[in-house]
Amino acid sequence: MITQSDPSGGRRSVLNWLLGLWGGGVIGSVFYPVVRYLAPPDVPEATTLSVSAGSAQALLPNTGRIVPFGSRPAIVLRTVSGELRAFSATCTHLDCTVQYRPDLQGIWCACHNGQYDVNGRNVAGPPPRPLDSYDVDVSNGEIIITRRS
Amino acid sequence: MRRRHCAAAVLFACLAADAQAQSAGVSAADAFRNDVHAAAGLTCAACHPSGGPGTYQAPPRTAIAPLCATCHGDAAYMRRFDPQVRVDQHLQYQTSAHGRRMAMGDDRAATCTDCHGAHGVTRVADARSPVAPLNVTTTCARCHGDPVRMAAFGHDAAPPADWAASVHAAALLKRGDTSAPTCMACHGSHGATPPGVTAVANVCAQCHVREAELFRASPKKDIFEALGQAECLACHSNHRIEPPGDAWVGVQEGAACAQCHDASGDSGKAILGIRGELDRLSAAVSEADALLTRAERAGMPIDEGRLLLQEAREHQVQSRVLVHGFAFASLAKTAAEGQTAARRAHDVGDAAMEELDVRRRGLAVATLLVLAFLAALWMKIRRLPPAADNPPA
Amino acid sequence: MTRMPLRSWLEERLPLADVVATLRHKRVPHHRYSVWYYFGGVTLFLFGIQVGTGALLLLYYRPSAAEAYESVQFIVTRVPFGWLVRSIHAWSANLMVASGFAHLFSVLFLHAYRRPRELTWMSGVVLLFLTLAFGFTGYLLPWNDVSFFATRVGTDIAATVPFIGRGIVRFLRGGDDVSGATLTRLFGFHVAILPSIATALVGFHLFLVQRHGMSLPPSVERQAAGDPAAMRSIPFLPHFLLRDLFAWTAMLAVLAGLATAFPTELGTKADPFAPAPAGIRPEWYFLWAFEVLKHVPANVAGLNGELVAVAAIAAGAAGALLLPFFAGQTARARRGVVWAGLAAFVFMCVMTGLALMAAAP
Repeated sequence: MITQSDPSGGRRSVLNWLLGLWGGGVIGSVFYPVVRYLAPPDVPEATTLSVSAGSAQALLPNTGRIVPFGSRPAIVLRTVSGELRAFSATCTHLDCTVQYRPDLQGIWCACHNGQYDVNGRNVAGPPPRPLDSYDVDVSNGEIIITRRS
Repeated sequence: MRRRHCAAAVLFACLAADAQAQSAGVSAADAFRNDVHAAAGLTCAACHPSGGPGTYQAPPRTAIAPLCATCHGDAAYMRRFDPQVRVDQHLQYQTSAHGRRMAMGDDRAATCTDCHGAHGVTRVADARSPVAPLNVTTTCARCHGDPVRMAAFGHDAAPPADWAASVHAAALLKRGDTSAPTCMACHGSHGATPPGVTAVANVCAQCHVREAELFRASPKKDIFEALGQAECLACHSNHRIEPPGDAWVGVQEGAACAQCHDASGDSGKAILGIRGELDRLSAAVSEADALLTRAERAGMPIDEGRLLLQEAREHQVQSRVLVHGFAFASLAKTAAEGQTAARRAHDVGDAAMEELDVRRRGLAVATLLVLAFLAALWMKIRRLPPAADNPPA
Repeated sequence: MTRMPLRSWLEERLPLADVVATLRHKRVPHHRYSVWYYFGGVTLFLFGIQVGTGALLLLYYRPSAAEAYESVQFIVTRVPFGWLVRSIHAWSANLMVASGFAHLFSVLFLHAYRRPRELTWMSGVVLLFLTLAFGFTGYLLPWNDVSFFATRVGTDIAATVPFIGRGIVRFLRGGDDVSGATLTRLFGFHVAILPSIATALVGFHLFLVQRHGMSLPPSVERQAAGDPAAMRSIPFLPHFLLRDLFAWTAMLAVLAGLATAFPTELGTKADPFAPAPAGIRPEWYFLWAFEVLKHVPANVAGLNGELVAVAAIAAGAAGALLLPFFAGQTARARRGVVWAGLAAFVFMCVMTGLALMAAAP
């Protein structure tokens, strides 16, 4: 540390005190961001690989739900027989967002009447490809969908 | 009539009588190698009447369709090769404009070989086939795009070029979207006939379900029927279907509605109201998009904003679809939902820019701190004892 | 516990007293050029910042093609002050290269490379090369479009070297093309191999600086020879050190300002199969070489133009490295060095300027 060379200098000790104060401030303004940085954020990992899709119990058979997956929509559905499925909700035709149609027991796109079955396969209308499918797990009553990379 | 010689025993070795016949004979034999009929075990003799020992004749054009139909119209026969294949092509052909002309003896009209080829016939799904989805419009255009040929029938040769400038052509040829309609989707293939005025809308309705439903529930349906106007064609045309824009709605010169309406009356009010909603929504969406892009460039997280913007865009698409209902109220409702989503997307962008401001303010504080420290340090340096002396230990 | 028992405990075990005594007696020359003495320390400070921010980034970064971009995005968007750490790391890299060059040129023009400081000079030049290598390897790590293609173009240049060129390219890329393997390999260089070499060299460099003290420029030497009393110096402790601290703190403020006002872009994730985006270029400190390669004709006296340019640049680098062995003893030689240094500096500035003008739309 900087030692005081003139023990009787009142001005110097004020200066030293100020120096210590501002210096402490500078060090603090360096350490504060570092300490905050070191603490893991609420979402510990990038949500590009996996997201939560809501309560498993609340998803009844023959219903579907649109959830955000990063910046694109995903659809998670429970089939009539009770199985969970999850897919990208972006129609492979012209990128509209699809929806689950209980009356069709399948996934439907409102833009040009495209249809997919509960396995994401394009079965009617313009869509040229099946929907990208995601892995579905249930953890603590919550549905987790994971991208297959 | 050309004569071709084929060695009776060997299928593809042909000797020609003259140079033209030689090249024709050799090319026909070569092409036949790839033919599905050859693969099925058929030879020249299956289609060509004999012209003498070792020679074959080409059948007259008017006889080609019935000739093909002897097999392709026989369900029991065709079942041997492909149990699912259709066998009504000739029946359809006979109802078509081409077939009816041919039946009258006019052999300028198209027949089977003009579209499918004569000797290198492949399945429709084969990419080399002249009637494969990506190729079929070129095949139709060979005649229907030729002004001289069409003039002889009193037809216009514009449709193929018009279609090529349409959104459907762009979808098919640029994006490879084989669900996009070609000539055959509206006109039929074997039964090719210009569809009747009421029929064409049914075709559009196969993909554009919602628009058709809305139109048919609207007052326009009866009006158009009374006028003898085809549903979709009045505004969208038939071949040169261009990307529609919000500006089509309106009473100004060039707008689709202006063909019949002006600014007066309830209809004029509704048109202007609808246009206003569409324009406002479009502005809200682009503003939110610009803000989110700015925030994104600055490194701020705006995933939620992008999702909301996507939602706003979908409401925008739905609003544009609702134009076909010609009713202000339902469109206004959807447009309002879109506005809400766009506003929320905008809010996310605002929050991101606000966070940027917070950072700048935090920086300002830190900088002030540092400057104060530097000022104090400078004073300290100046107040140090003269450098010449060694400081006491 | 008061200070004294702790101090005496430490002094019994560590040569603290010797170190402090040496530092108290150490003096630094003070003359009209002595402001340039600070650039070495600033470069060292920036290196320290890089190590610190780099270590912090390592806590969240993932060096695979599938995750690198997303992990940087995560750092910048979700980790508190992640944006600050990342932007400071990027800006400090730029400033460190600038400071390194400033340090090199000031040492060159003040002729501090002369005997007995040849090893100090050479270790310093190698450290500058290492700094550029740090910049090159680190540039790819965010795995965005610009850095992917810049790495591809940059490593392609190594192919012009005859015989071993392809081998060098494969060594740098971990394969024939830039891929996830390249990312992992350059990451290993950037966080382990280069830092160990650099740390050892910095230690060596500092030891030599301490051993030989600050060099006096020839003009000041002449002055001192005439009038010994006019030779001013300041004590290292506390005068020089406080001034150093001033420079370092000011640099810290500049870094924070740059990081906040001009944060580094994320760019778009690298797509190896997309065509190269228009206007790819390397970092600014490589722009001059990039521009030279653009202007050199395809064939120079029957040889591949690129090869000639690379050879010329390599010769220049070798010349810089071995400078103390062919100059410095006579005034004439020193004048030659000044002209050569000026020419090199102006050349690099002009080339960089041309490159920047070409890039500006």
